[in-house]
Amino acid sequence: MEILTKRYWWLGLVFIGALVLPLVVGEFWVHVAIEILILGLFAVSFNMIFGNMGQLSFGHAAYYGVGAYATGLLMVRASVPLPICLAASMVAAGICALILGYFCVRLTGIYFAILTLAFGQLLYYIIFQWYSFTRGDDGLQGIIPPGALFSATYYYYFTLFIVTGALIAMWYVNESPFGYTMRAIRENADRTRFIGINVRRYMLINFVVAGMFAGLAGGLWGPFNRSIAPDLCNWHQSGIPVFMTVIGGPLGFFGPMIGSIIYTFLMAFVTGFTEYWPLTIGLVIMFVVLFLPGGVLGLVEQKMKVFRSRDLETRGDRSAETGSS
Amino acid sequence: MDVSLLVAQSMSGLSRGMMLFLIASGLSLIFGVMNILNFAHASLWLVGAYFCYSFWHLMQNHGFGMWVSIPLAALVLAAIGWVIEVVLIRRVYERELPEQLLLTYAMVLILGDLIKLTWGVEDKIIVRPPLVDGPVFFYGIPFDSYFIFVISIGFFVAIGLWWFLKKTKYGHIVRAAVFSREMVSALGIPIPRIYTGVFVLGIFIAGLAGAVQAPVGSITLGMDMAIVVQAFCVVVIGGFGSLLGTLVGSIIVGEVYAFSILFWPQGALVLIFIVTAVILIVRPWGLFGTPMRV
Repeated sequence: MEILTKRYWWLGLVFIGALVLPLVVGEFWVHVAIEILILGLFAVSFNMIFGNMGQLSFGHAAYYGVGAYATGLLMVRASVPLPICLAASMVAAGICALILGYFCVRLTGIYFAILTLAFGQLLYYIIFQWYSFTRGDDGLQGIIPPGALFSATYYYYFTLFIVTGALIAMWYVNESPFGYTMRAIRENADRTRFIGINVRRYMLINFVVAGMFAGLAGGLWGPFNRSIAPDLCNWHQSGIPVFMTVIGGPLGFFGPMIGSIIYTFLMAFVTGFTEYWPLTIGLVIMFVVLFLPGGVLGLVEQKMKVFRSRDLETRGDRSAETGSS
Repeated sequence: MDVSLLVAQSMSGLSRGMMLFLIASGLSLIFGVMNILNFAHASLWLVGAYFCYSFWHLMQNHGFGMWVSIPLAALVLAAIGWVIEVVLIRRVYERELPEQLLLTYAMVLILGDLIKLTWGVEDKIIVRPPLVDGPVFFYGIPFDSYFIFVISIGFFVAIGLWWFLKKTKYGHIVRAAVFSREMVSALGIPIPRIYTGVFVLGIFIAGLAGAVQAPVGSITLGMDMAIVVQAFCVVVIGGFGSLLGTLVGSIIVGEVYAFSILFWPQGALVLIFIVTAVILIVRPWGLFGTPMRV
């Protein structure tokens, strides 16, 4: 615990900074901050599969979308209280991840990426076509957060606490024996199997947990945006956490969060004066892939050894090699 | 439900399948040889369609306009493919899968906006020359004559690729590179040149496919997004790197689509992804592929 407080004191500062943020910036930036938190949670959950398990999921938005629709439908059709909706989002996304993940974890590498992509598109088209239940491409409108949460500032605090709680939970998973087993599987699945670990079951549990947190992020998105559309499920949305993770760096726990800050800020800034946001982010990603393997966090670690912890070294500094099968 | 409707629908499925084949064959070739999954393949296909429109627009007063535009567009795309390979793809040969995927995904975003900047947001329409406009009748059943053109181009490319891979020296080298890059390079054959050649060939076919697609309907922004995932499905169903598999996979996907439109319109795309997922689960290397080195 002492080591933890010594190493991660700056997290306390970040949290305090996040608490005072709405007092110092305007409403526009509060909206941006909410988006950073939600997408950051989404990206960190994605990185449980990518960074920890070493598999690239290109259909993670499916669970995000299922979460968004669970909350959206429950709120619009049944006026269920928001916290229960969010729990339902996690359960719904978890069930989907359990069913689809059962098949996904049988594959690795490129096949894993394509199967997750195919399942993601499958869910996307189901939501898109099932008009009577999901209202298809009209989307769901009027997802109004209850009571005080209607104001952006209060919704920001609500999101901040939920996301912080979720991050702490994922952090514990990450640092538990389970998390280390996942990284062992990433490094060498065969050897992990030889010491008596049911690799597939572990991968499936990890996949389900990642899906549940993606569902939570999706659930938070609906009331923030006031509406949801099937696009939340499709493969473009699945690309977003991939970008964030690669920009921030996949090996640190907070890499995807840093990626989310950079991505969302950049988007808020760039879309202010040009509609060519895809061009901009495309060029940024190209630059990061070609010249900055390991992401921003990797660069920071290289330049100043402050953030470098013994823990990261045992994980292996293989920033360029994550995701190998 | 009479027979002529079924026959017409199967022709439309075949034509759709052939279009998918034209896209997926390049995708499969590039993946098989270079181990790079090119997300941007359909974006380049769309660029081909827009180039075809531009050339046709310049020559629209001449009857031969479209017939000249199609090969011209394919050649332009081959040149673009060469630039992309030399400038970008070559840098990531040795990188891991996610980075290669992201690079080509970044190209999707960049190309999408470049198309918007160059050609604007309005849909483009090419007026077909009389030869392929309107229906032709076989035993009283009407067929869109342009579909017949698409299908014949598809078969022509399939036979051409088969001939190239099986009968020519370069084809043999390419097929050898699918199995072992190390061995090929140990024989003194420059691998980067083979890679560049394969990539340019793949993009040439994609450009040709885009140019052939252009007169089918209107050319719209974002057409590439749905088709690229379907092309992945085709490659998965047929098996990576197998030409015959890609052909069979394309026809399966095209026909499944055409007939589910008839019987269960909402489920057309859902069905394709279900087929793909089932193939991936029971036979990840596809119908005609060989279990790959992983």
